[in-house]
Amino acid sequence: MRLEKGVISSLQLFFLVNCFIQGALLPLTFAYPISKHDTWLAVIAAMIIGSVIALVYISLANLFPGKNFVQINDLIYGPYLGKFISSQYSLFFLITLSGYLWFIGDFVLTFIMPETPMSFIMIMFAFVCAWAVRQGIEVIARMSVVFAFIPAIIVFITSAMLLKEMKFTNFLPVLEIPIRDLIQSTHIITHISFSQVLVFLMIIPSLNEQRRAKKPILLGMISAGLILVIGTLRNIATLGPLSPVVTSPSMEAVRLIDIGKILTRLEIFVAMAQILLLFTISCIFYYAAVLSIAQMTKLRTYQPLVVIIGVLSIVLALISYQSRMQLSYSIMYNTPIISLHFYLVLPFMSLIVAKLRKLPQNNGRN
Amino acid sequence: MLSYLLSRLKYLKLLGQNYKLSQSNSTASKDKDEKSTTSYLSASLKNNLNLFKESLGNNYDVVIREFTINMPKQVDGALIYLTGMTDSKIVNDSILKPLMFESQLDKTTLTSKLDTIEMIRTTMLSVGEVSKSNSINDLVDNCMAGTSILLVDGCTEALLIMTADWKARSVDEPKTESVVRGSREGFIENLLTNTTLLRRKIKNPDLVLESMKIGQRTKTNVCIAYIKGLANPSLIDEIKRRLNNIHTDSILESGYIEQFIEDAPFSIFATVGNTEKPDSVAAKILEGRAAIFVDGTPFVLTVPLLLVENFQTSEDYYSRPYFVSFIRLIRFMAYLISILAPATYVALTTFHQELIPTPLLFSMASAQEGVPFPAIAEAIGMGVIFEILREAGVRLPRPVGQAVSIVGALVIGQSAVTAGLIGAPMVIVVALTAVASFVVPAQTDSGGVLRIVFVALAGFSGGFGIMIGLIGLFIHLTSLRSFGTPFLSPIAPLSVADLKDTFIRAPLWAMITRPSFIGSQDPKRKDFRLKPSPPSEKESQSE
Amino acid sequence: MKSVKKVVALMTTILILSLGTTGCWNRRELPSLGIVMGVGLDKSEDSGKLEVTAQLIKTSELNSGGTGEGGGGGSGGSSAYWNLQNTGESMFATIRGFTHKSSRKLYWPHNQVIIFGRSLAENGVQEYLDFFVRDQETRLEVYMLVAQDKASDILDFQPKLEKIPAVGISELMESQDANSQTCVTQLNEFVTRLMSPTTAPIAPIIKIEGPGAKSELSVEGTAVFKKDKLIGQLTKEETRGLLWAINKVKSGIIDVKCPDCAGTVSLEIIRSKGKITSQIIDSKPSITIEIEEEGNIADQSCDANLVAPDATEKLTKQAEKAILDEVESALKKSQKLKADIFGFGDVFHQRHLKEWTQMKDDWDEIYSNLEVEITVQAKIRRSGTIGRPATPEKEQ
Repeated sequence: MRLEKGVISSLQLFFLVNCFIQGALLPLTFAYPISKHDTWLAVIAAMIIGSVIALVYISLANLFPGKNFVQINDLIYGPYLGKFISSQYSLFFLITLSGYLWFIGDFVLTFIMPETPMSFIMIMFAFVCAWAVRQGIEVIARMSVVFAFIPAIIVFITSAMLLKEMKFTNFLPVLEIPIRDLIQSTHIITHISFSQVLVFLMIIPSLNEQRRAKKPILLGMISAGLILVIGTLRNIATLGPLSPVVTSPSMEAVRLIDIGKILTRLEIFVAMAQILLLFTISCIFYYAAVLSIAQMTKLRTYQPLVVIIGVLSIVLALISYQSRMQLSYSIMYNTPIISLHFYLVLPFMSLIVAKLRKLPQNNGRN
Repeated sequence: MLSYLLSRLKYLKLLGQNYKLSQSNSTASKDKDEKSTTSYLSASLKNNLNLFKESLGNNYDVVIREFTINMPKQVDGALIYLTGMTDSKIVNDSILKPLMFESQLDKTTLTSKLDTIEMIRTTMLSVGEVSKSNSINDLVDNCMAGTSILLVDGCTEALLIMTADWKARSVDEPKTESVVRGSREGFIENLLTNTTLLRRKIKNPDLVLESMKIGQRTKTNVCIAYIKGLANPSLIDEIKRRLNNIHTDSILESGYIEQFIEDAPFSIFATVGNTEKPDSVAAKILEGRAAIFVDGTPFVLTVPLLLVENFQTSEDYYSRPYFVSFIRLIRFMAYLISILAPATYVALTTFHQELIPTPLLFSMASAQEGVPFPAIAEAIGMGVIFEILREAGVRLPRPVGQAVSIVGALVIGQSAVTAGLIGAPMVIVVALTAVASFVVPAQTDSGGVLRIVFVALAGFSGGFGIMIGLIGLFIHLTSLRSFGTPFLSPIAPLSVADLKDTFIRAPLWAMITRPSFIGSQDPKRKDFRLKPSPPSEKESQSE
Repeated sequence: MKSVKKVVALMTTILILSLGTTGCWNRRELPSLGIVMGVGLDKSEDSGKLEVTAQLIKTSELNSGGTGEGGGGGSGGSSAYWNLQNTGESMFATIRGFTHKSSRKLYWPHNQVIIFGRSLAENGVQEYLDFFVRDQETRLEVYMLVAQDKASDILDFQPKLEKIPAVGISELMESQDANSQTCVTQLNEFVTRLMSPTTAPIAPIIKIEGPGAKSELSVEGTAVFKKDKLIGQLTKEETRGLLWAINKVKSGIIDVKCPDCAGTVSLEIIRSKGKITSQIIDSKPSITIEIEEEGNIADQSCDANLVAPDATEKLTKQAEKAILDEVESALKKSQKLKADIFGFGDVFHQRHLKEWTQMKDDWDEIYSNLEVEITVQAKIRRSGTIGRPATPEKEQ
């Protein structure tokens, strides 16, 4: 029995992944203070490492076609340990969702409406997310096709407009920072964007050709990764030494666009694009959290959980983060370590255990 | 709004309570219906006439003409028809005259074994469409639709002679969709004329016109038109299923049908299209859609409807592609302006003043100086006033309508600004919005609702609110379906091939395939290599 | 039934949401804003505290004729701006202090200029800049200027063409490309230089020239900062010398002597390119400045025929010499001030990372004795719409 009846095409999966990775342009801010003007190198490194990690996830999905992550865990670790691991992941999706909700609230508060209570922003945002999640993965995937283009085009156009302001000497000297910092920064970027494609293990079963997930996911990651690199290059070349200091390099860089006194103050478009992307990311995590819980509790449909999970994530966001400084500290120093467990250790272990137990064959006979 | 919903809820509760009761009732009434239809004609003309008089009542437009049929053996007969709905020329010249004076029967036919009524049908009536029936109900229904009924003494069957004809408007230019280039014909209120107009465009036996009657009391003729082999059979089945589910007493306009069969009754977007122009119906049918004709209205429904269809006109395909593509983009822009301009203005002036270029801010600030209302009140107020003016202009006779627009423009526009009640920029924004909203006539209604929603969102939370509203709108549009076809279809889900006729209009010779979500039965529309080229080039190639 | 429930739920949610938002936290109607167009920072003469002058626009006066005292007269003659002053200890507290005096909340995003008074700049600007970089209302592309004397006087000087002094100053900055003798500086450039460990921030100097009613605002020369303190200034020729090297010359005039007689020839700069490269030879750092310039003959006071290859050649040589002199004078001045206005330190940092770690501590000393080679390549392209001057032809 499948909870989700919607079917997505591999093109839609490509754009979904693309949106998902592109959305990291804003959270990338957390890597700038560590790797400074070499952040673009960290993004490229993270893209490569992330693609390798994604291969693990995909091979895991290919072992069990048509099964989502919770079902895979059940098959690999048995009903009890599997449930335990799945519930960890559900909680992890929920926490990530609340982190994104807080991030969007913080973003809107910093740049658009500083006096508005954050809970209000988060409720409004969570409301549209819940709406989309209720409509199912099909609607989210279809929307992502449109949403992927808008920010990409904005990144390209703003980069072209900022060419005049860019100073390419800002990249020099290459690799000034110690290699340790670069690794740390790469790890942060991997953690906030690329390795999060793990969540697609909940979505791959909805793909119409289930064994063909590899190409769209990898292509999506790489294409969006390149857009991230372009965005990072734009920010560093434009802002130079300011880029590690400002709260959001993308916004500040685009603020400097001034073409003939008319094309100016364009940061609103960056903000709009980022809201669209963060919306897609939040929807995916929201959907994954809801679907995994519904799958574990063997519900017939996940719809009734949507509102509950939404409220839960808002409450969680409000109680777990107090300030921007705390969020950035935890993203820079705490969560990357914890996430290793989820993004690297467990999936690798699952893959190895599955190979050892020769699970797919058994599954095929049954 | 809320009270309406509550009352609806109460009504539904009532329905729920009476569900069983109504269920048994309906079956009972169905039984009763069937019983009444079981009354048939008898052999006696007198009895039959009495039956008819009973069921037709004392209607003044019913004519019962008793006469003697001039056959070798004289037989009594009666002709029953409605005066206003029949062509008196046919009745007089093709029915009464041959029957009474010009019997062509000779001995041989007389000796044949045909009964009287069949003899009359085959040899005496010079009318195209004649059928037989013995059920009183059937006869009465047909009579009501303009058919003449010929009763013959001694026969248990009556002849139904097609004489329906009534005064109808002549085919003229549609008022709602005027064009510069293209056919000037528009549908009229007569179903037969309308289907004929379509048939004249598509002279193909595959064009199927299936008819049915909907409405227990009005018995309105409804006709589904599609092309066999092009329209998806499941689409036709779905349309028939939905139409058959309409159990209502009256269908007065195609709008009735539309509201009973649409996919998303709560949506502000219509998922059933309508048009007055035979050429656009033909074009849509040729793409694999189906049309629903309803007797008594010039508006023909087409399903499935996509959002982009609202931005297309029949003229787009008659003009050359460059300008049309430009105009298409203008239409999309105008629609966006019509729903977003006041909201953007409100958001900019109350939340994001930093986004206004400095010189513009100067003039806006000085225009707004001393205006007593907040921008959101101005926007909503002006929007409502505009809708009032528009409604007044639409309903009033034309000369008075002009007076209204003058009063509206002068008093509200000019004086309010000079009196300092409203800032001049707001008047400009509202005027721009109003003009833009007429660019896409099919979406004027949805635009009006969305405009208010967006202004409210912008007034409460600025650009973020607009963004949330846009995302919500997009979620809604993406989840909508019209008869199984995604409403936003060439865009989301993306179909690159169909974008040729979405934001731009590719040259006709390049539009080889039908829209993939609609015309998948027979995707190829025309040959490749239809692109015109100068003859000399071809000759030189062949030589 | 189900869908009705759903709609009711949706409606109530929207209703609650919108009712909850009627607090409207960030709503500001246009008439409630005090739009700041310029800000001046001074050191108060009496108390030594910070004195902030904010220039607000009077929106009601903007359209009602009259350009302030200058062109006004009549009844609508009041000026369209209002200079508001407040003194205080910290920047932000002083700015918030304006609410005691202004009925409208100050609104910063349209601020065009930040002017530092001289005495304040000499004591350091870092602590006052933080607000302009940090606050979400302020923008990084405002113009930074240093007043020759007091910033508040500059902001109170009614320009003749504009209604608002700050707008006048910002337009003035935009027109400086025509002579390239002012280093037009935006806040982000200033802060970028400030963040560099070696490069000295620069800002243009603005002053009121002339006596009494005939006085004019004038921007020329460059204020040179060491870290965040004003330590000296460049003349307009030295400023252009600096701009040549950092590739910021857009247009301008080079006056050279006529090669044939005593007259003066003006060459208009149409294109220029400056490039700084660094070398370290035998652990001895040196810098090369390469300047390429293209110009037209714009004006000549004598009647010599300059449209001849050899005359042009000579003119070119003279132009190169003039440019070289300007750059050298700027370099000399900056070496005397030990202020790395050219950003040589950053060049070494970027190209010679290894050596830089040793150099950076005593950079000031290295800089003041740095060997700099300047090469200039000038070209003269056209002579305008006439060839030789419109004078009676000379006998050759």
